[in-house]
Amino acid sequence: MSSGLSLAHEPVTKVANGKLAMWIFLASEIMFFTGFFGAFIVLRNSNLELFSHSAAELTKGLALLNTFILIGSSLTMALSILNLEKGNMGKFKLFLGLTILCGFGFLIVKTIEYSTKFSHHIFPWTNVFFSFYFLMTGFHAIHVIAGMIPMTFMFIKAFTKKGYNHPVKVETLGLYWHFVDLVWIFLFPVLYLIFPAH
Amino acid sequence: MSGHHPDSKTMFDSYIKVASALFVLTVLTWVAALDWVPKSWGEAGNTLHIAIGLLIAIVKAFMVFYVFMHLQFDNKFIRAFVFVPIFLFFVLTFALNVLGP
Repeated sequence: MSSGLSLAHEPVTKVANGKLAMWIFLASEIMFFTGFFGAFIVLRNSNLELFSHSAAELTKGLALLNTFILIGSSLTMALSILNLEKGNMGKFKLFLGLTILCGFGFLIVKTIEYSTKFSHHIFPWTNVFFSFYFLMTGFHAIHVIAGMIPMTFMFIKAFTKKGYNHPVKVETLGLYWHFVDLVWIFLFPVLYLIFPAH
Repeated sequence: MSGHHPDSKTMFDSYIKVASALFVLTVLTWVAALDWVPKSWGEAGNTLHIAIGLLIAIVKAFMVFYVFMHLQFDNKFIRAFVFVPIFLFFVLTFALNVLGP
């Protein structure tokens, strides 16, 4: 964005190399999750009864809450980048901190959800639906954690004397973070909502 | 980065607008998934539920791609990286639904 970064050394792509690499990585990530969704659809179609009964066990309210948390974190992430580009360090730190908090909030809700399942003796090996439920939400949660690690690093750096003034790096991380939000946008209806009530 | 970004006030407004729209659409997904289809519709009712749920998700996905991830400003080169796998995603999901058992 208007970070004043010279793109003279990237004459072909006109995009910062790091950002381009992130997009290529995200393209492979789309295919990674597509595999799960594809397998899920095939198994759902041949076990509709089992999938409907199992999906009814899920706590839809917590998933809705997590959707709100993730959308909120996407917004705070975008706002933190905007403020860093304006040189508004205070607000950059505030919004980045809020994003990290949202990440923690998401993981806490997820932990509550998982522990409720475990206490009801529902495990990944209970049936094929729950295998996919734990696999897909688990991989998604790992992505959330993976995003929070560099985010925390940037946040801590921002409080040092030198500060953290790398808008392009934050923007590249932002791309990843929005993608994690995007995956959840699909997981939410597919796992929790599309099954007929019984 | 590439292209011309509008000023930060405009960006701020569009972020707020998109986030609000995402919140509203999430509620809409929830409402659409409630049991409002008459039982007599049978399998068509289920298909309708799935279609509405996924359609809203696709709309939300494009809003995130275009506004939060700045695809509206980035060049075609980047778009190709995103749209090829997305295209495969749709081909796969629809093919599996249509050709399913």
